[in-house]
Amino acid sequence: MEAIAIMEEDIDNEEEVLNREEDKKPRYSETEKYKVFDSEFMPHIDSMYNFAFRLTNDEDGAHDLVQDTYLKAFRFINSFQKGTNAKAWLFRILKNSFINDYRKKSKEPAKVDYQEVESIYNSADEPQYNGTVDLRTEMVHDLIGDEVAMALNGLPVDFRTVIILCDIEGFTYEEMAKILDIPIGTVRSRLHRARNLLKEKLRSYATSMGYKELR
Amino acid sequence: MGEEMKSDVKHNCENHERCMEMIQAVLDGSATKEEMDHFRNEMTSCLPCIEGHELQKSLKDALSVKLEKKCCPQSLVSKIKEHVGIASVVLAFALLEIKLIHHIF
Repeated sequence: MEAIAIMEEDIDNEEEVLNREEDKKPRYSETEKYKVFDSEFMPHIDSMYNFAFRLTNDEDGAHDLVQDTYLKAFRFINSFQKGTNAKAWLFRILKNSFINDYRKKSKEPAKVDYQEVESIYNSADEPQYNGTVDLRTEMVHDLIGDEVAMALNGLPVDFRTVIILCDIEGFTYEEMAKILDIPIGTVRSRLHRARNLLKEKLRSYATSMGYKELR
Repeated sequence: MGEEMKSDVKHNCENHERCMEMIQAVLDGSATKEEMDHFRNEMTSCLPCIEGHELQKSLKDALSVKLEKKCCPQSLVSKIKEHVGIASVVLAFALLEIKLIHHIF
């Protein structure tokens, strides 16, 4: 049964929530804490690092983010129920740490309104697909890793995040909803938007590289 | 035979964006039963959906296979374990000290 620590407050109060959850969950002995950390958290470090790198586009940033996340995870280990989805729990902490850092660096006092960000991309002025795809499957087959990476890195962070979580890390919509603290419906629509944007970037790139568009 | 097949497959999708969202849910393993039934039907009768499915599948495969997966440097793994280990040792010493003081007094 999924038992990811429920963090219903906003990101600013995350540590408060983790503290409250600690009081409700069974406490581990010191030996057990280390055992849980080693056996349930450490196996996911490569995925965590990959995710952190894709978010920050920077090795140093990824390094700091992963370290910060794991130390936080150890500090609040009593909030985690042994045997449940450790990967999703860790990803959520990392995501929130990233958003907090991102906000601090952009020096915006208000928190990022992801609903607002999404509404920009759902604008009625955007061209709609008419069922004829411009990007062809054979173009995608011919792309190399660097080209795919470049297109992915060019996406706004909230869209990049859902693609990484779904297509690279293999999370289900339900897990993503808990990691991102958004409804499943929003996960679906955000993924759909993100993939349309990604296709558009790849289409532009493929066209500039001389692929002929077949209709 | 070819002409017969062509006439069975429609070339325009009335609600393609909605269909693509459903196709993506199927590929992501998160589709409902109704979506799965609709998907099976569209895959035999709607050309835009068939092409959309192929494209989405190739894109998903490209992301999981072609993108370099970064591994955590061993130095960072060691650093994290060291931090956590040191914290445990310090705590163990603090607890021992408290027990000793309690025993003495």
